Amino acid sequence: MNRQVQAPVWPDAPDAAPLGDDRCATRLHRPTTVDALCDAVREEVEQGGAVYPQGGRTALDYGRPPGRPGAAVDVSALDEVIDYPHADMTITVRAGMTVSTLRGILAEKNQRLLIDVPWPDRATLGGALATGVCGPRRFGLGRPRDSIIGVSFVTSNAVEVKGGGRVVKNVAGYDFPKLLTGSMGTLGVITQATLKVRPLPGASALIWLPVDDPAKLDERLAALASSALRPVAFDFLSPSAARLVGGPVGLGRDAWTLVVGIEDDANSVDWQVDRFRVEAERADFDVLRDDATAPLWTALTEFQVETPGPFACSASLRPSQVAAFLADLPAERWALQAHAGVGVVRMQALGEWGGDEAEAAIAGKRAEAVRGGGNLIVTRCPTPWKARIPVWGESRQDWALGRAVKRALDPEGVMNPGRFVGEDG
Amino acid sequence: MTATAVPSSASSTAARLVADLTAALGAENVLFNRDELVVYECDGYVIEKAVPDVVVFPTCTEDVVAVVKICNRHGVPFVPRGAGTSLAGGTLPVGGGVMIGLTKMKRILEINTRDRYAIVEAGVVNVWLTRSLVGTGVHFAPDPSSQTACTIGGNVATNAGGPHTLKYGVTVNHVRGLEIVTPDGEVVQVGGVVEDQPGYDLTGLIVGSEGTFGIVTKVIVNLSRDPEAGRTLLAVFDTVEDSVEAVSGIVAAGIVPAALEMIDNLMIRAVEAAFKFGFPVDAGAVLIIEVDGLDAALDHEAQAISEIVQTHRGKVEKSIGWRTREEPEYKAIWKSRKMAFGAIGRVSPTFCTQDGVVPRTALPHILRFMEGVSERQQVRIANVFHAGDGNLHPIILFDEQDPDQVRRALDASVEILDECIRLGGSVTGEHGIGVEKLAMMPKLFTPDDLAAMTAVHDALNPDGRCSPAKKLPIGGHCIERTKPGRHASA
Repeated sequence: MNRQVQAPVWPDAPDAAPLGDDRCATRLHRPTTVDALCDAVREEVEQGGAVYPQGGRTALDYGRPPGRPGAAVDVSALDEVIDYPHADMTITVRAGMTVSTLRGILAEKNQRLLIDVPWPDRATLGGALATGVCGPRRFGLGRPRDSIIGVSFVTSNAVEVKGGGRVVKNVAGYDFPKLLTGSMGTLGVITQATLKVRPLPGASALIWLPVDDPAKLDERLAALASSALRPVAFDFLSPSAARLVGGPVGLGRDAWTLVVGIEDDANSVDWQVDRFRVEAERADFDVLRDDATAPLWTALTEFQVETPGPFACSASLRPSQVAAFLADLPAERWALQAHAGVGVVRMQALGEWGGDEAEAAIAGKRAEAVRGGGNLIVTRCPTPWKARIPVWGESRQDWALGRAVKRALDPEGVMNPGRFVGEDG
Repeated sequence: MTATAVPSSASSTAARLVADLTAALGAENVLFNRDELVVYECDGYVIEKAVPDVVVFPTCTEDVVAVVKICNRHGVPFVPRGAGTSLAGGTLPVGGGVMIGLTKMKRILEINTRDRYAIVEAGVVNVWLTRSLVGTGVHFAPDPSSQTACTIGGNVATNAGGPHTLKYGVTVNHVRGLEIVTPDGEVVQVGGVVEDQPGYDLTGLIVGSEGTFGIVTKVIVNLSRDPEAGRTLLAVFDTVEDSVEAVSGIVAAGIVPAALEMIDNLMIRAVEAAFKFGFPVDAGAVLIIEVDGLDAALDHEAQAISEIVQTHRGKVEKSIGWRTREEPEYKAIWKSRKMAFGAIGRVSPTFCTQDGVVPRTALPHILRFMEGVSERQQVRIANVFHAGDGNLHPIILFDEQDPDQVRRALDASVEILDECIRLGGSVTGEHGIGVEKLAMMPKLFTPDDLAAMTAVHDALNPDGRCSPAKKLPIGGHCIERTKPGRHASA
């Protein structure tokens, strides 16, 4: 790669902006306009530095370590609403707005965002989209890619580029909104997004059902998949995960636990809770209703960012593979949450782990995931491990196309270098 | 604008191309006689025509690879085609070359109801999949009006929608992965049966790219649970304006119908003449409003909708309660809606259908605007469209034998699409840019936006040989770009 003379070096100033993985930025830009953001990018590119987009800094350690010295570009001051035609059920906002602020604005019109985001008071919309984060309600509400219909981003050419638009159906131009979602800031700095939003549900319920015999898990999951219910979430928690998630709301005990989330109008929610009682052939479960569900939804969403042990992974599986995947993980070494309907398993390692032991465990489960057509990524681990553990999982054939796209939009490798897939060949 | 192709027998280059393709695919899968090729000179968009030099029908992915490699060797462009139902010239063989007809790749390879996906070849007709899923409790949600003919590969190319996108989303929301043959002839698996794959969302990028990133040969689609029940209401209004205000009212009330379709008087009369469904022929407009989900919630929703309809001076003429989408009365109402385009043939010899999108709240405005366009340009415009999405399908009626009418029809289209842009909308909701709307792209996107899109195009389709002159207004005029390649092997 062409580096200009006197390329920046890693600073070790403890007060400089953190980039994650114990690296610090050469400087911090906090533009208040898109023009200023373009200026910041231009300046860094001219000096041969890299650009590290930041929002609420809730995912700084996600991915591989920053690849070369560069500046942090903090978008959190770009936080205004551009357009909220609420009767159209769309909203266009700047990317630096926090998720909780956005939720508040939508709630005033009895609407909501369709994405579960951990730490919403800090996390920005831009960050949530760049990381493609999701939570338990993804089963019913879809992924971030299903909500986004328009995006603007500043490329390494220091210009703001847009794709998509502000209407719910639009096939003009390439689908940059989807391309940018989950791109980890490697194609540009997301400055604005237009999202589909939906009415807040009239009622909600969370069913908390300890399951004594985890061997019957697959049976239960299959039954739920064809049940008369239409849940928006169904999660399965290992005993330690149940304690972590349910404990603070007075539910957790050391048992495998099924959590079913229902959101609809009040009649439908009542009917589904009754129906669950019939289908489960038991009544010894807890039900949280309406406002009382909020803390548990939060806990279910934030399990993925808990730090009960030294590292965490996320496996993507076929739903039919989930039960077997969980079965051979020792419950005392792992806290596990399965978004069972979509086949995502969040794995928190517990206690002490050596690097070799972790590497072997990760490789084994990764291979199991890959055999079913899925993958397994490491969402958090000590920085030194990242040199030998493929944190983005088994390499994929389509990464070659991804690299071509990256080169097209960021030929000099300026944007968030080092962090995402495929850069190591 | 019309591109002309050199007759296939005119050069030895073409003869060598035919010979190579015939050797690879067999004579039964290669067409090159002029009279056979004329069938492929256009798709559902009839205003521009171009005859391909050869049409091939691969029967498997390896065949497609062979064809693409031969095209590259000869330096000729190639373009995929499914059923040819594109309404924007998405399959027009600009600059001639080889048309890759995918209709012989028509196997449904796997249906997995537990993990909720199906794997199909690109030439599988949309409704075949729907039919094979009847009774399984799951379905493939995208249901474009042309679903009895259009292929799933074509749905992927255009990111097709249909009446039920309002609640369920468009094709891209229901595709997990693709097998594509890249423009240089490599087979790449993008995405997979499991949704989350590390890396860029290339599935999201390729769906809707109108064949410009390669030839899609297989599609892994997502299957959705069938609703437990539904209510389909037919609401009748004296005026179009009242009907679209009711649409805005329903959406603003926080109701998300499964479908919300509007048919105006001109279309009602055409549909009635064709199908005798029982639409009131003196109505100004009708809305088909569908809610689905759990039965327990539906009466309440249907009641709320009825009240909104009445508030806007409308009347619910029919209300069908259903348990499956196979019930005869349900099928009849949707057949009437989906066959509407066919029925228009009774009213006019030729028509072109636009695909503009406006914010749903701007529907009353754009409908008034279109009345003005109709008067100014002296063309009749019929309307049948996805009102709940703000996705218009004004059908502009004209006689293609009359050049002045053709011009006025085109001018009317441009006026309508310009207004859609001015209102913050788009020039295409589901048909694609094709060749038809290339000139509109610079009105929607800045030079920087288009430069970024072109960079991505050029990265994945460096010679521009795959589906040339589609989607992006590359290089001043689209057709120019393909000419050099066409003669490169001479």
